[in-house]
Amino acid sequence: MTILRGFAVWLAHSPITAAVTARFWFVPEIQIIHIAAIAAVVIAVALINLRAVGLIETDRPLRAVLDTWLRVILIAVAVLAVTGFLLIASEPGRALFRTVFWVKLGLIAVALAVTAAHGLIAQGEGDAEHRPTLARRALAIVSVLAWTGVIFAGRWIAYAEGWPGAFS
Amino acid sequence: MSLQDFANTLAATPLAAELTDSTWLFGAVESVHVVALTLVLGSIALVDLRLLGLIERDTDADGFVRRLLPLTWGGFALAALTGSTLVFANPQGYFANTFFLGKLVLLALAGLNVLVFHRFVQPRRNPGSALAPRVSAGISLVLWLTIVSFGRWIGFTI
Repeated sequence: MTILRGFAVWLAHSPITAAVTARFWFVPEIQIIHIAAIAAVVIAVALINLRAVGLIETDRPLRAVLDTWLRVILIAVAVLAVTGFLLIASEPGRALFRTVFWVKLGLIAVALAVTAAHGLIAQGEGDAEHRPTLARRALAIVSVLAWTGVIFAGRWIAYAEGWPGAFS
Repeated sequence: MSLQDFANTLAATPLAAELTDSTWLFGAVESVHVVALTLVLGSIALVDLRLLGLIERDTDADGFVRRLLPLTWGGFALAALTGSTLVFANPQGYFANTFFLGKLVLLALAGLNVLVFHRFVQPRRNPGSALAPRVSAGISLVLWLTIVSFGRWIGFTI
């Protein structure tokens, strides 16, 4: 808590906060880039999971589909991390002191791990890889739920109460 | 009936009362709206980038578009439903908001662009005249990015 508060105070007095709050339109524009990057993650997650359960692109090996779209997800997540950090900097006393923000970070870790786990199952399956096994269906459902949870948690930062007396 | 009357009618509905009274309903519908619009933006951007020849150049364009179409339409239906629901929370405010009205106009233009593409561009497509689909795709990409931008700006100006 003390570390977190110290970080928020440092950030609030840093040139980063000064820069992102310099114009009223910076924050909405950063949010728009954030949403566009979420769109990249969402479509990539949809394509990976639809391929994993054998609904699309069955003419391509799952590994190939995963290689392409996992890379898109990682690039988009990097953009999300940068824009997300800038949004925190725009109001350092806000997101960091709301439980739902930390839930969001946890969900991102779970969502990334579960989505990438399709690769483990695809390994060594050989000719059997077109079959939508139970494990694949389960992974696909958890992946979609986790990413949806990330979006809900992200939107909820705006509505959640801050920890009482955490930052002022 | 003027736009103002229409807004007043919407504001008097039980749905409007529910949205303004509840502490979580508006946020929940809005979150679904975000999931839906990212599905629309993501799938349309892929189609446009493919038509522009920037990605998946070795796959068949028509097949690629056809595979993504259910995601686009599913996402769009959900975004339209949740978006219309959100309007009930503050109809007078939205109908007087420039970004909201601008967004509706841009959505109509995006619809027109799809219509032109399916009626005139797609049937005549041959390897020799690749310009028309690219123009369609470029217009679509700019329109949808602007639609999402306007949507975000509504939240800051209402």
